[in-house]
Amino acid sequence: MNLRRQLLLVSLLILVLPWAGCEFIRETESALRQSQQQMLSGTARAVAESLQRYPEEFPAQPGGSVGPADQLYGHRLDIEPVIDGYFNDWPLPPGSLRQTRGADGPIRFVVGLHGRYVYLYVAVTDRQIVYASPSTIAVDDGPTYADRVVLVSASPPMASEMLTFAAEAPGPVIAWLKNSFGFAPQPAVQARWQDVAGGYQVEARIPANLLGTHLGITVTNTSDEREPGVRSTSFAGQAPGPLVTTSPDLTSQAERLVQAGTRMLITDRSGWRIAAVGSPGMASQPAPGAVSSWLRLAYNALVEPGTEPAFAEPDPSGQERQPYIASALDGRSSESWFRSLDSGRAIVAVAEPVASGGNVIGAVVLQQGTDAILSLRNAGLARLMNVTIIATVLVAGALLGYATWLSRRIRRLSLAAEQAVEGAAISTALPSAESGDEIGDLSRSFSYVLGQLADYNAYLRSLASKLSHELRTPLAIVTSSLENLEHERLEGASAEYTARAKDGAERLRRILNAMSEASRVEELIEHSEPEAFELEAVLSTTVAAYRDVYPDRRFEFDCAAAATAMRGSPELLIQMLDKLVDNAADFSASGDLITIRLEAGEAGLVLSVHNPGPPLPERMRSQLFDSMVSVRTDGHDKHLGLGLYVAKLIAEGHGGRITAENADDGVRFSVVLPVADAKLAQVGRK
Amino acid sequence: MAKRIAIVEDEAAIRDNYVAAFRREGYTVDAYDSRAPALAAFASRLPDLVVIDINLKDDVEGGFELCRELRAQSADLPIIFLTARDSEFDAVSGLRLGADDYLTKDISLPHLMARVAALFRRLDAMQKPQAEGGRIMRGSLEIDTDRMSVQWRGVPIGLTLTEFWLVHAMARYPGHVKNRQQLMDAAQAVLDDNTITSHVKRIRRKFQAVDADFSNIETVYGMGYRWIAD
Repeated sequence: MNLRRQLLLVSLLILVLPWAGCEFIRETESALRQSQQQMLSGTARAVAESLQRYPEEFPAQPGGSVGPADQLYGHRLDIEPVIDGYFNDWPLPPGSLRQTRGADGPIRFVVGLHGRYVYLYVAVTDRQIVYASPSTIAVDDGPTYADRVVLVSASPPMASEMLTFAAEAPGPVIAWLKNSFGFAPQPAVQARWQDVAGGYQVEARIPANLLGTHLGITVTNTSDEREPGVRSTSFAGQAPGPLVTTSPDLTSQAERLVQAGTRMLITDRSGWRIAAVGSPGMASQPAPGAVSSWLRLAYNALVEPGTEPAFAEPDPSGQERQPYIASALDGRSSESWFRSLDSGRAIVAVAEPVASGGNVIGAVVLQQGTDAILSLRNAGLARLMNVTIIATVLVAGALLGYATWLSRRIRRLSLAAEQAVEGAAISTALPSAESGDEIGDLSRSFSYVLGQLADYNAYLRSLASKLSHELRTPLAIVTSSLENLEHERLEGASAEYTARAKDGAERLRRILNAMSEASRVEELIEHSEPEAFELEAVLSTTVAAYRDVYPDRRFEFDCAAAATAMRGSPELLIQMLDKLVDNAADFSASGDLITIRLEAGEAGLVLSVHNPGPPLPERMRSQLFDSMVSVRTDGHDKHLGLGLYVAKLIAEGHGGRITAENADDGVRFSVVLPVADAKLAQVGRK
Repeated sequence: MAKRIAIVEDEAAIRDNYVAAFRREGYTVDAYDSRAPALAAFASRLPDLVVIDINLKDDVEGGFELCRELRAQSADLPIIFLTARDSEFDAVSGLRLGADDYLTKDISLPHLMARVAALFRRLDAMQKPQAEGGRIMRGSLEIDTDRMSVQWRGVPIGLTLTEFWLVHAMARYPGHVKNRQQLMDAAQAVLDDNTITSHVKRIRRKFQAVDADFSNIETVYGMGYRWIAD
């Protein structure tokens, strides 16, 4: 994995930012919720205290054996239902219907209030509807019986009255009022009986002034007109409880107190809703700065999702039974958090008991949406996401750029370090040497090592000449001693040994000469005065001379260059050719043809010497022209690996370049010699 | 009376060997290991020939200094540098100081003896009237084999002993190519190719100093050199 990828990977750590940001937002949200809840609680307490002054608005707890289950709740209707025997035109949700058990199945019923009328709707499950006969329509105690719905009305302590709905046939029915004065049809009551599959429905409109404070419903179901049938009631006890409905005074009170985005419910001691005002934050929709759903998804993924229960609207039946309200009715302030199912936002609800004279007479419930918090949170979330994206892109880009720059510096350094040792002279100048960072240190270390290497190479190069110089004096001692010894009287054997010693010393001298040749050539190159000459002419006579020097090799000189005038030292070039030809002769067999070619190349004249013979070992190719490097394995005494080094010195002294390659079943050494300036070349041609 | 030779050489073994060789040849030899005692001795009496090493103990250029001082005392005293330093630069410096020859220590004793003898011969010839027999005339070139001197168009050319022998070898048979080995033999020295090249270059330069158009020594590439008669 390269440096760039590594740093890019590291830059992914920036993604911690949104998580941290979400944590922060969550903390803030939690604090804001806390304060909102406290504020709402305070409001609820204040409302509760102000309501204590109107205990008369709270219906008294029905005493004795009557409980909330015996009560009916009068829903306030916005519009007037048509009395057609059907519920679908009532402005109430189906959940508003209360249910009780009947003889053949559930009986569902609801009471509505609109203007001066009380509306009644009862749906009865009845396998067999028994209609009444005209004579017995209002009578419920024999000799014949009929299916009927009875509205029981009472204003204790006065006796109760009964409004009976029994049908002779589906359609409009006449209500019969039974009270202490007897039976009478009640024409002010409008009612309709509707048969449906599995039963019948009764819908009625009764003027409120006909009814008492306590209402109850009884349904009598008979399967035969001679049987009295089974009675089912809406109340559990003997008598119906008082009718509960919203109080206009409390409602107007609540309207004054409630704030926008808040719903206020007031319940009586039993949880019956006696006022309901406002809605929890439905006003301001959509919230400004609303975020797209994927942001919320991201938020939910990053922050633990809310665990609040789903928010419940006010109970359609009219009685609030949620635990936090129940707990308030027990005298304890309580609060609860909900999450709206459709919008997903949180809703805080607080319930505060209303006490009067040490007794709880009701409860105030405030529900408020967290729109402000939500929009704050969403805005923060959106900003966070934007900032994170920008920061991530910026940091990743910066890191990428930085890594690119860094790795380019390192690459350049490593390339320069590789190239430094490839040239003839080791270069110690490396990139980034000036910078103060670790790469600069590395560069300087490299430079130092390369410097050491260059020194060492220089030492190696000068080693031969230094060595030969140092050895020359002891050699002179040896040879002069031997020559003196020859003048002494020597025995046969001694003379022989002396002769051998002289031979050895002579060989040593040759070796030393060869060793110092390179430095002498360097000196000559330095001091030589370049002259203009025809290379072809020089080469042709030289090659002719080689035929005498190497009688068992064949030589061919081939000049393919049109103009061969150049500038330099012909003596040195011949010396170079000597080395190459000597090398070629050594590595070829008797009778082989050594080809010397001169041709025009791009960079100048190319002089090549080709000989058939074994190829150059690949690993020696680069060192072939170095001082004291030899590919010979036979330990030939006159070669110290300096011949090709001298050839290289001469070639480079002429601004040229020498290369070796395996070619045509042999080895070819090529020297590229740049032709000197045209003027001198012209002179040379003349 | 035997000729007196002074050897200034810091390497005892070499010095003793040379002393022995010269004594065998019948010379009187004085040996010194450094410049100061040599100079002290030369102040009272100059030898007939001096052999000097350049590097004298710690005195790296002591031989050059000595040569300069001796040349100041006597213009004719033959001085030979015999040294391990084989660089072109040292040779040119030594000869410029007026030395008669510059030899490296790989010269063999017989060759050294031949040179010394030749120098003495030249010294003797200088003191005698000029003899006609020892002269070779090649056009503008006149060689006095006794005095080992050369004139070009009547102007004497100051050649070292080695250079004289090289010119002599080439000019004796004008037009004949002398290869390096032949030249080496003629110069009574073991020289390598580069040294011969340098020598020829120096000879040409000396002639050109007298005659700018001098081009009578021709390089035959790959073979050697020859004298072109003018």
